[in-house]
Amino acid sequence: MSNINGKVYAMNAITPMRPWKTWVLRLIFFVLGHVKPLQNDLINLSFIEFARWVVVPRNKFPSLGDGQVKEELKYDYLLFFSNFNGTWNQYIDAFSAVLAKGLNLIWRWSEKFPGSVPVTIFKEYIARVQFDTDYYYTAYPHATANDLKSAHIVQAAFDSLSEQATISTPQQFGDAYLNFVLQVQTHLGETGEAPVVF
Amino acid sequence: MPNQNGNVYGLTILSPIIDDEKATPSHDLQIRKYLATLPTGADSPFAQAPGTHLARLVVMDDVVYVGMPACEEHLNSKYLIFESNLDGGPNGDLDSYLNGLAQNIPEHLDAIWSHCVGYPGAANAKAFIDYMKSCQLETTFFFAAVNDKSVPETLRALETQRAVTDFIATHQGMEPGQLQAEFIRFANDLKATPPPPAGSMAPSREIKTGGRNE
Repeated sequence: MSNINGKVYAMNAITPMRPWKTWVLRLIFFVLGHVKPLQNDLINLSFIEFARWVVVPRNKFPSLGDGQVKEELKYDYLLFFSNFNGTWNQYIDAFSAVLAKGLNLIWRWSEKFPGSVPVTIFKEYIARVQFDTDYYYTAYPHATANDLKSAHIVQAAFDSLSEQATISTPQQFGDAYLNFVLQVQTHLGETGEAPVVF
Repeated sequence: MPNQNGNVYGLTILSPIIDDEKATPSHDLQIRKYLATLPTGADSPFAQAPGTHLARLVVMDDVVYVGMPACEEHLNSKYLIFESNLDGGPNGDLDSYLNGLAQNIPEHLDAIWSHCVGYPGAANAKAFIDYMKSCQLETTFFFAAVNDKSVPETLRALETQRAVTDFIATHQGMEPGQLQAEFIRFANDLKATPPPPAGSMAPSREIKTGGRNE
């Protein structure tokens, strides 16, 4: 079992939903996907690299024949996979504090969801519906979501200055370099091993 | 397309695991045992094949019972979940990604998925791609913090960030003419240096974080 690789934590959760409610949830996700400002809280949390929700209708679990017994389920299921930086507690706390309304809107259609506030019973629920990861890979284990965003800002500024460097006078380059440093100075945090967490 | 966010594709696959009471150990346990020995760093199979940002493999034993008054129910099969965040390009090119897996790491794919129902093997790339697609679930909502950069671009950017930090720190107060010459040399060297391999850690820091972080 390995939920952690470097600075990323893999969370898996599955919750049952009455089939008619999944259509409400699909509509919510449709709106969330098409009205980008509604994603601002998720973006501003800034410690989620990738996340996804997958609604699995009760009759849509892959059935390949070949001796496999078909599923006979009453509920549809909501699968949630997240790749986030930090600890489990930090993640759930931040979710509960910042995204309480959004979380309630997504999970209130799941059976027995207690609400994301107060956080104690919310954590109990998450712990119950979470299951562990057997294998976890990341191409950049030393980097957080903020590191990625910063690195791309530095790269773009660096490429621009590189082009300028070969055609500028020393004085022009001096000014451009100063602007470059001002532009990237808040994005130069060093990546490396994750802090030890107890 | 819900599986796609920008140039990143969210692949979700649920492969039913063979339920054979005569198998010892059981197939799900054999998958878990193999995954436990699989490297997760630069020598990971997913680092050898192109295009994977983050990926996970999970054996899902059953659905969860959340307590009364909900109904208790169980799955008839255990499932192997493969969740991958990959470079799909603007058109979500899943076939190229799956073909890349089949070409580069067939022995690992076979060792893992041979315990799943109907797996045809990776030697026949088309059959492998068809099989994976038959087990694919459509993602309902997919979020990506950075959705317009490929894995090589990201690794390159992280290396640039590190190198630029060092360059700025060691070239403070330098006269513009000399700074320009050194920057041009630095930029050329950096562009000629291959990005660090996928899955590798950054160089160790001398300063370690201390204390507890809760």
